[in-house]
Amino acid sequence: MAIVIPPFLIEILLTLGIFLIITVSLNFEVGYAGIPQFGRVLTVLVGAIVAAAIPGRLLVLMAGITVEFRGEEIVPYGAEYANHLVNFRLVDQINTQILGVNPGLSIVMFIVTLILAAIFGAIIGYLTSYPALRLREAYLGITLLAFGDALQLIALNYDPLVGATQGVFVPNFFLWVGATQTSAKIIAILIVAALIYVLVHFWVNSPFGRSLKAMRDSEQAAEVYGKNVPRLRGYTLMIGGALAAIGGALWVIYTGSMDARTFNRLTWTFWPWAFMMLGGTGSHKGMLVGVFFFALFRYLIFAYKGVLEPFIPISIQWLEYILIGLIIVLVSMFRPQGLLPEKPRTLLPKERVEELAKASA
Amino acid sequence: MEVILTALVISAGIALAAAGITIIYMSTETFNFAHASFTTIGFFVVYNMLLVFGGSPYYYFIFAAIFTGLVGVAVYLTVNRWLIKRGADMVTLMMSTLGVDLILFGLINQWADIIRDTIPGSSPRNFLLRTIDYPVAEIGGTTVYARVPISIAIVILIIIGLHTFLTRTKFGIAMRTTIENPTLAKIMGVNTEMVYLTAWFLGGALAGLGGAVLSMIETGSPQVGVRYIVPLFAGSIVGGLYSVFGSLLGGFLIGLSQQIGIYVLSLWVGTFINAYKPVIPLVIMVVALLFFPEGLGALAEKYLARRGVKK
Repeated sequence: MAIVIPPFLIEILLTLGIFLIITVSLNFEVGYAGIPQFGRVLTVLVGAIVAAAIPGRLLVLMAGITVEFRGEEIVPYGAEYANHLVNFRLVDQINTQILGVNPGLSIVMFIVTLILAAIFGAIIGYLTSYPALRLREAYLGITLLAFGDALQLIALNYDPLVGATQGVFVPNFFLWVGATQTSAKIIAILIVAALIYVLVHFWVNSPFGRSLKAMRDSEQAAEVYGKNVPRLRGYTLMIGGALAAIGGALWVIYTGSMDARTFNRLTWTFWPWAFMMLGGTGSHKGMLVGVFFFALFRYLIFAYKGVLEPFIPISIQWLEYILIGLIIVLVSMFRPQGLLPEKPRTLLPKERVEELAKASA
Repeated sequence: MEVILTALVISAGIALAAAGITIIYMSTETFNFAHASFTTIGFFVVYNMLLVFGGSPYYYFIFAAIFTGLVGVAVYLTVNRWLIKRGADMVTLMMSTLGVDLILFGLINQWADIIRDTIPGSSPRNFLLRTIDYPVAEIGGTTVYARVPISIAIVILIIIGLHTFLTRTKFGIAMRTTIENPTLAKIMGVNTEMVYLTAWFLGGALAGLGGAVLSMIETGSPQVGVRYIVPLFAGSIVGGLYSVFGSLLGGFLIGLSQQIGIYVLSLWVGTFINAYKPVIPLVIMVVALLFFPEGLGALAEKYLARRGVKK
């Protein structure tokens, strides 16, 4: 892995990779199944918590690392792991003594972490189907939003989990790469994002995806054709939750630390909504366009900050909010179908459908 | 005692702003996320005018209401009216107000920067008006500040005012008709555009007023609305979303249970629970949605109907 990504690309590719995963998962729930997921941050945070809380503890147990804590030598796999006095030394030990010298274990642990994140994300996603089966539209949106906020509060205040406001460090699975580890992380993120993108592409074009769309367009019609709507909704929330959790896990693995404060609903729920709407809700390719456009755009504003600043009366920091807001407003007003609208899919080739239409007319 | 007084003021603020959400939702079916920023604007109008003109913060409550009401009107005219004409669905309407909220949030932050740069000694990212309040009475050793009677009086005035407006004036009755059946109202010659416009003005004004009331107790910052939006929605939803008075009641319920409930809990299980204060409205809201989807307003009506009281 001696590939070195130029620094200017890192920022763009990072945004692209992470938010592609999250936006695809959001589109899966909103665009295909019609669930107003205003609580995307919930499962993203679940993934981040899993990545911050579990692999480190597993490694501590496996290697039997001991630390001195309140005058005693202990193996810190419980609440002590997240203690801010212990955690930084511990993660440093894990990194340098285990992960840094053992590439195979690092890769295995990286994959195990993502799988665990997906499993927990799926469980939490499935739990949210309780209200999702009983409420409609905006009510459901608000409820999901409330769940996201509630989990953030718990993560912020319950310190045995991930150190609350102190945060915890996340084991570095790429230390063995050496100097180019940032590039390696970005490549890993892009690989996972690409896998998820392709996987979801096949899912949404499978019979399962088509029944989701049928459910979105008319629940009654889907039920008439024998689709189990509650089960479909449950599966959607499970898959969406699992994918978003992988995104959250990758993010904290990249940054190397977990701070619950950064998991606010603005960045992890509303931004993906903006990307999704920009690209075209319900269009899988649109997600790539929306996120790419945004990643580039965001990079450009920050890169040309100095050039822009004298010309506008608003500081760049706030301009970002205003521009994202404007995108949401303008897209919903003038181009609700997005840049790359969803195309109606036919099961037969186009010519055949046209022929049939002619014959019946 | 202190706890109860604080809870009353916060509840009054939440109730007013929640009633604003309800008015906008009832008339235009828009869940207004921008209410977060509307409330913050209430805070900033009071703070900014206090810095510039001095005197008592209470003088500026009315300006907070009017200014925020006009912001509401601007949002209606630029965004909401267009979307309603196009027949946008509920989620699109909701998303568009989220965009508006982000724009307003950016502008409020810029406003805060301008205050910081132009007025020496100001701290727009962390201001507390509570400290300049006037003591008016003493109950059992606890000083009662002017904010308590004033906020309660505002709520009562709003209830009386809205009730008179909605039941005794021609336009108020037209407004109720439009809410119940827009098509019929149009046929009868009601100017529904005007009704929606008024609803956005009232909704915005109530949010601004709620923000002004909250500014007397809560630390002000550009983020304050973002923190309050969930209790506001909770108040509105618990109230049933189709009844302004229900949402005033719901706001009070949310505010009181949040403030007093957490105090009781902290005595009972320990002070660590204080950090989870914002969870209370979330729980109440989710429970209300799942078990009493028609809300407090409808429950109260049912109760009154059973007692033989006619509407």
